[in-house]
Amino acid sequence: MFIATLRGMLAHKVRLGLTIASIALGVAFLAGTLVLTDTMRLAFDQLFGKVSAGTDAVVRAEAAYTQSEGTGTSRGPIPASVLQQVRTVDGVRAAEGSVSGYALLTDNAGRAVLTSGGAPTMGYSMPADTTLRGDVKVLTGAAPSGPHQVAIDATSAEEHHIALGSTIKVLFQGPAQEFTVVGTVGFGGEKNLGGTTSAYFDSATAQRVLGSPEVFDAINVSADDGVSQAELVQRIDTSLPDGAEAVTGDTVVKESADAVDKDLKFVRIIFMIFAGIALFVGSFIIWNTFTMTVTQRSREIALLRAIGATRRQVSRSLIIEALLLGVLASGVGIGIGLLVAEGLKLLMDVIGFSLPSTSMQVEPRTIWVSLLVGTIVTVVAALVPAMRATKVLPVEALRDAVPGAGNPSRKRVVTGVVLTGLGLAGLFSTLYGDVSMKLFGPSLLGIIVGVITLLPVAARPLASLIGVPLRLRGLSGELARQNAMRNPRRTASTAAALMVGLTLVVSMGVFASSLKSSFGDIIGGSTNADLFVTASSTQAPGFSPEVIKVVKDVPGVRQVSASAWGQARFDGTDSGYSAIDPATAADGLNLRLSSGAISDLGTDGVIVAQSAATSHGWKVGDTIRTEFAETGKHVLHVVGVYDSKGWIGDDFVISIAAQTAAAGQQLTSSGLVTLVDGADTATVQKAITAALADHPDAKVLDRKGFEKEASGFIDKLLTFVTVMLALAVLIALLGIVNTLVLSVFERTRELGLLRAVGMTRGQVRAMVRWESVVISLIGALAGAGLGIGLGLALSQALADEGIEAISIPGFQVALYVVLAAVAGVLAAVGPARSAAKVDVLQAVVAD
Amino acid sequence: MSVTTSTTIRTTAARAEGVSKFYGSGDAAVAALKDVDVDLDAGRFTAIMGPSGSGKSTLLHMLAGLDRPTSGEVYVGDTRITSLNDKALTLLRRDQIGFVFQSFNLLPTMTAAENIVLPIRIAGRKPDDFWVQSIVEKLGLTDRLDHRPTELSGGQQQRVAAARALASRPQIIFADEPTGALDSTSGTELLGFLRTAVKELGQTVVMVTHDPTAASYADRVLFLADGHVVDEMDEPTADAVLDFMKHLGA
Repeated sequence: MFIATLRGMLAHKVRLGLTIASIALGVAFLAGTLVLTDTMRLAFDQLFGKVSAGTDAVVRAEAAYTQSEGTGTSRGPIPASVLQQVRTVDGVRAAEGSVSGYALLTDNAGRAVLTSGGAPTMGYSMPADTTLRGDVKVLTGAAPSGPHQVAIDATSAEEHHIALGSTIKVLFQGPAQEFTVVGTVGFGGEKNLGGTTSAYFDSATAQRVLGSPEVFDAINVSADDGVSQAELVQRIDTSLPDGAEAVTGDTVVKESADAVDKDLKFVRIIFMIFAGIALFVGSFIIWNTFTMTVTQRSREIALLRAIGATRRQVSRSLIIEALLLGVLASGVGIGIGLLVAEGLKLLMDVIGFSLPSTSMQVEPRTIWVSLLVGTIVTVVAALVPAMRATKVLPVEALRDAVPGAGNPSRKRVVTGVVLTGLGLAGLFSTLYGDVSMKLFGPSLLGIIVGVITLLPVAARPLASLIGVPLRLRGLSGELARQNAMRNPRRTASTAAALMVGLTLVVSMGVFASSLKSSFGDIIGGSTNADLFVTASSTQAPGFSPEVIKVVKDVPGVRQVSASAWGQARFDGTDSGYSAIDPATAADGLNLRLSSGAISDLGTDGVIVAQSAATSHGWKVGDTIRTEFAETGKHVLHVVGVYDSKGWIGDDFVISIAAQTAAAGQQLTSSGLVTLVDGADTATVQKAITAALADHPDAKVLDRKGFEKEASGFIDKLLTFVTVMLALAVLIALLGIVNTLVLSVFERTRELGLLRAVGMTRGQVRAMVRWESVVISLIGALAGAGLGIGLGLALSQALADEGIEAISIPGFQVALYVVLAAVAGVLAAVGPARSAAKVDVLQAVVAD
Repeated sequence: MSVTTSTTIRTTAARAEGVSKFYGSGDAAVAALKDVDVDLDAGRFTAIMGPSGSGKSTLLHMLAGLDRPTSGEVYVGDTRITSLNDKALTLLRRDQIGFVFQSFNLLPTMTAAENIVLPIRIAGRKPDDFWVQSIVEKLGLTDRLDHRPTELSGGQQQRVAAARALASRPQIIFADEPTGALDSTSGTELLGFLRTAVKELGQTVVMVTHDPTAASYADRVLFLADGHVVDEMDEPTADAVLDFMKHLGA
């Protein structure tokens, strides 16, 4: 039986190739994701290892709690006086305080040295002790010393032509300052630290410009020879004041790596979702292939059964075939996965999420996970057709099997209707009822699976309808229409693969379009600002608070109100918060308080969003227990409840003063500018731009410009998602090719007959081509319909977040449908050619 | 051996001149036809007979433009089809030739009526409704027109095929063992119709068969053996054909 299986597979090379490709592409995505994230992880690990090499222990403030998001936990500072104590501990060879913070370099012309992909722009203290510098090496020039010297990373120096000895301005959270560049710095073999820009100052200067003179972020300690890290930590720990802790250098490296791993996990999950979609789509093709082979082979199977093969042997043979196919395809997929990893990295670069890199890492886990997943998907998809194969009766060997249509069963209709119905019910009750949003996802899934189940029922009427214009194409068109209709189950499962891909693409398009058109309303409804001050790069974390002071003094500006962002634990749950300036906020910001007042914020007040207030039962006068990682527990009083999310999207709003007290001073994320009466917006914008010449970390936009920038960002994300989903669509197209190849093979005699009675090769090709177009269009139209529905549901679900305008990108959707039809034509090229080559005599000679 | 009784000058519907067909090449080459010359008269019903492997089906395929000879020329009417490219040959089959095969004559997705006008529709022409209807009536298919092939008996399917072959008024109709898969009643009906088509509608029919009774419906029988035309017989009877076949050692 095994040999028979193997021979059977090799006998149909095209079919083998296409089915392998369909699964391999999905597996490649999976393997590529794993390879990429492993590579990124290693790159980050190496990075942290480099920086911390030579540090045996770190003394730092205890964190109130470990934050769930972001790279590492923010901590409070440690008093400078602790350094003296640490230095007296036995076994400490050297100890120095370290400070780091926001520092944006500018080039000699005053232009900001921006990073791609949101990599931070950082300033650090340069340890005097070379061991404590670890792999941070001065490449040219010298280490900085004194209040006017800086050393910068070699990449920034080279790419922006900043020469040693020249003077540059560096921007901080506090006032900017000019420095003489005295050296360039490298990290191990690298010229920059994972894409960040770095500015190094001596310890005292770093304290002054990045933090404050009395404190350090942490104290780095190097041990005497023969003193282990653990021993050192133990000795230091006993001498530390309350609130400070000592940990080994290895621990710090591990913590940093773990924090990055959390971020990478998110990236991995995103990619995995797309890989899952690709595999799901690929499984349709496997299903189709096996269903068709079983039908075509019914005579062969019946013959095997007639000569005594048991049902079990027949199905086992098919399962073995699926198993071999799965393993083979997964193997191929892992190979392609390496390319995919490179491609994904490139894609991330293109859309502006650069990642540090090292040589591609293929871990054993990647290989076995990919093999396992690919094989399981293949076998599961082949299971039902294999079971069906055993039902072939020995007598069927005698029949001239023209594979029948097989009408959809009642069970299918009932299942499909029930699933779709439940999905719709769930959807509407989450959107308009009190049912938890947790049901939203499962409801969508229910609808999609329901529609897939029902598609075979709808395939025949759909094909009939879509095929109507084909009548104009004469008999070829008419036959194409009939061929698409004759086996609705096959047509449906081929089209379903395309439908799934298109549903996702279109729903994302509708969602993004609604988001974009809501954007104007969101801004209009929640701010009264005439101009907006934002970070100069959309991915920068923010800009120096100094900018606000500068803008305020520009003639024509009535008020500029800053806001910042942070993270804290409110009532036990980690959440982002916005920080605003209560004195100026009312001018530019329209929070629409249903109760309370912004002016009551003070340093211990909080304004909560209506939705959070409702679900927690908070009202003005209540208290919320809050923890900040930097300073620990605070009690905040609810001083207001606000209605209109938009400019502010967080559940909690506190004052900037409160934020500074609880978490230290942070970068400003935006400034809302209102103008004095009669001032011209464009004139003032120009004036502010001029005033910001010395502050390249910020820029000013009018409302249109701001909306444009925001929708540009949405477009970028949409492009990313679409490219990701394009793979699923590609696999679906392979499925169409596969189905056509199998159909052509199955209809050899028919094609021969048509050729005998006078159909030209061109007409035969047209017939196959139009059938392909009909199948593609069924998938595309069903996908577009479903996608629009899901996109609207998604937008509606986020109505609370301000997506109130609903917009369907009609042109874009139409374009997708047309592209699908064109793709159908392309998919048919090969099969049409082989159909045209069918030997006429085959139809004539009875077998 | 009977003698030609008719002295009428006949035009030729199809002709083979020195046609040979080899399968394979070199030492392994097998000859299916060796230097065959055949004239098929227009307006007559010709049967080609011979034992299995005699080359009779191969000859039919050559004459009908379904296959190309290794050497020699084939004419349909005045057209030398051996020099035609695939497209021209296809159009010739569509417009000039009708076919009835042993089995799988019809497209399973189409009704009887649609199958009948298939070649006309392929040509993108409108069928001659009056003509088609008269054929359908003659074949007794009037109440079967909306049925699909799977809903028709074998005899009915072959009659639909015969109607299709006639519908476009071809120069010549080729039938390859048309009764091979039919019971004797259905076979007799079909042969009777082919004969009627020749006698009353003036069609030319060429039929390959190995059944002496079927051959007796023809005006003329060509006998093939080992790739050669060995003899022919006009106005054959079943017994005479049977005798001759025995003589051939079939």
